[in-house]
Amino acid sequence: MKRDDTVAGGLFLALGVLLIASGSAFPPGIGGLPGAGFFPRAIGGLMAALAVVLALKPIRAGRSEAFTISNRRQVTGTLGLLFGYLCLWGTGFFAVRTAVYLALTLRFLGQGWVPALTYSTALTAFVWLAFDMGLNVSLQ
Amino acid sequence: MTAEVLAGLAAVLDWQVLSFLAVGVSLGAVFGSLPGLTATMGVAVLTPLTFWVSAEQGLAMLLGIYCGAIPAGGIPAILINVPGTPASIATSWDGYSFTRKGQAGLALGINALASAAGQLTSILFLAFLAFPIASLALRFGPAEYFGLALLGISLMAGVSGQYVLKGMLSGMLGLAVALVGLDPMTAYPRYTFGMSEFLDGISFVPVMIGLFGLGEVLVQISDRHVGKRVATAVIGRILPKAQEVRTMLGATFSGATIGTLVGAIPAAGGDIGSVIAWDQARRVAPDKENFGKGSLRGLAASCSSCNAAIGGAMTTMLTLGIPGDAVSAILIGALLIHGIQPGPLLFANQQSFVFSIVFLLVFASLLIMLIGMLGAKPLARILNIPRPWLWTGIVLFGTVGSYALNNALVDVWAMYAAGVAGFLFRKASIPLGPLVLGLILGPMMESNLRRALILSRGDWLALLSRPILLGFLAAAVLSLLWPLIRARRAAGRNQRRTPDA
Repeated sequence: MKRDDTVAGGLFLALGVLLIASGSAFPPGIGGLPGAGFFPRAIGGLMAALAVVLALKPIRAGRSEAFTISNRRQVTGTLGLLFGYLCLWGTGFFAVRTAVYLALTLRFLGQGWVPALTYSTALTAFVWLAFDMGLNVSLQ
Repeated sequence: MTAEVLAGLAAVLDWQVLSFLAVGVSLGAVFGSLPGLTATMGVAVLTPLTFWVSAEQGLAMLLGIYCGAIPAGGIPAILINVPGTPASIATSWDGYSFTRKGQAGLALGINALASAAGQLTSILFLAFLAFPIASLALRFGPAEYFGLALLGISLMAGVSGQYVLKGMLSGMLGLAVALVGLDPMTAYPRYTFGMSEFLDGISFVPVMIGLFGLGEVLVQISDRHVGKRVATAVIGRILPKAQEVRTMLGATFSGATIGTLVGAIPAAGGDIGSVIAWDQARRVAPDKENFGKGSLRGLAASCSSCNAAIGGAMTTMLTLGIPGDAVSAILIGALLIHGIQPGPLLFANQQSFVFSIVFLLVFASLLIMLIGMLGAKPLARILNIPRPWLWTGIVLFGTVGSYALNNALVDVWAMYAAGVAGFLFRKASIPLGPLVLGLILGPMMESNLRRALILSRGDWLALLSRPILLGFLAAAVLSLLWPLIRARRAAGRNQRRTPDA
């Protein structure tokens, strides 16, 4: 068993407790029939109970191992570029914004500038033609 | 019934529907041929493209991707010993040995033929058994549907191997996410945070795109799965000789039967079916020693079985409304957007549509067999496409596709969040399948339990007097306990084998 199980168990436990607490604020139901708060509380209770078992497993097993993400720079960089692209959604022209985002991502992932720019331009044109022109989805 | 069969066939024999099917099968072949790009990812990312066309056209494309990707997953398994999809793991055990012997073409030919045999056998199962199953399911009340949904999630958690506990938590998380939106019985808003976009709940398709599209891309980037360029193997003869066909015939059809039955079990897909079928073929084969070293029977059994799971999963999905695997979970979402509710009522009210699905599956199977036989060489070259090109393409299609569903940026953020969660879940070995099932079955579970309690006037014990519900509950408990029982029995056996000090 790994130490990440303790972390995952802790997160699930927190979510379970949150569900129980928030479920108590919803109508409890009438005449013995469950209301809107029943399922959140039931799921939260089960989740919390299972989470405790998961969190305690590594301690009982007496072994631990770190949760690792290899190649972290490229993962966070890719997510960061996508985050920036989504934050800029609705500003400027879709085609320009998208082509720049794609070219930067491809370059970041180790592609040369020329293939990155060529491919990003072609892919942007294809997506724009398919969605904006073909399916009438306004991408601006 | 004949009129419905003909109407179903007529709806499919439309050039636009057939074009969508051809595009879907071709795209599926590309997705399956590339290790890391799965049928689930292909269907998830391309589902938004189908919302602007008729249900038949949209379903033609999605079923085409599904039927195309699974056999194509065998191509990299055979050529470079890397399964293109999880379902083709067992294909690599024997398939790659053919390539090392300079007979890659023969293995690709057997893959195409046995895959088509598997798919067609399971479609027969769907065509002949789906109607009786659906008529049986029509007798189910809310209590039975609650039990069925619970069983589906339990089975998915139960087949999560050594991660049963994490599978159960993943299912719980899916149920929790499904709580967002209006309460199904009283329309009381839950977890909407005052945002009108959340009143209908979290959109299912963007979450799927995130989990299986963006999440998988991030895993591949993290694993430095850059995808080395591979030299195209010597393809050679593709068609097997008559003697070779006779040798593999039994294994092909036993594999198809096993694959269909395993595929019909909610949560168990082609990956499990093909391993069981390969092992079963080895047990009865006269040449056991050849298995894993280039056995015709082993290759045929694994190829037919992983493809037969498609028909099995579709039977469960269409008759009961319960996804047989992750792809059919996304297909349910796509059908719902087209206003079609899978389940027994579909067989009562829209029989011609059911037959359209059967014919679409038949045509897709035949088409992918042709592509597999004639296009083996071009498909082998696809392996050389640089991975960053594919990653950016998938992320862009996923982003724009998520936005296009409702022209809402909130769906894109849902995709992004699901992608990060999918990545972290994979890294923490938390299975995603139960989460998907929880998400799709959550509303069904909650509304049916509460309806059942209204009918029983709040008496919980009265529910337990229903034998079908009791059967489902017992099966759910057994499916969760079975891995623990098996582990304990294995530990006991090991202890007996170890001599005392």
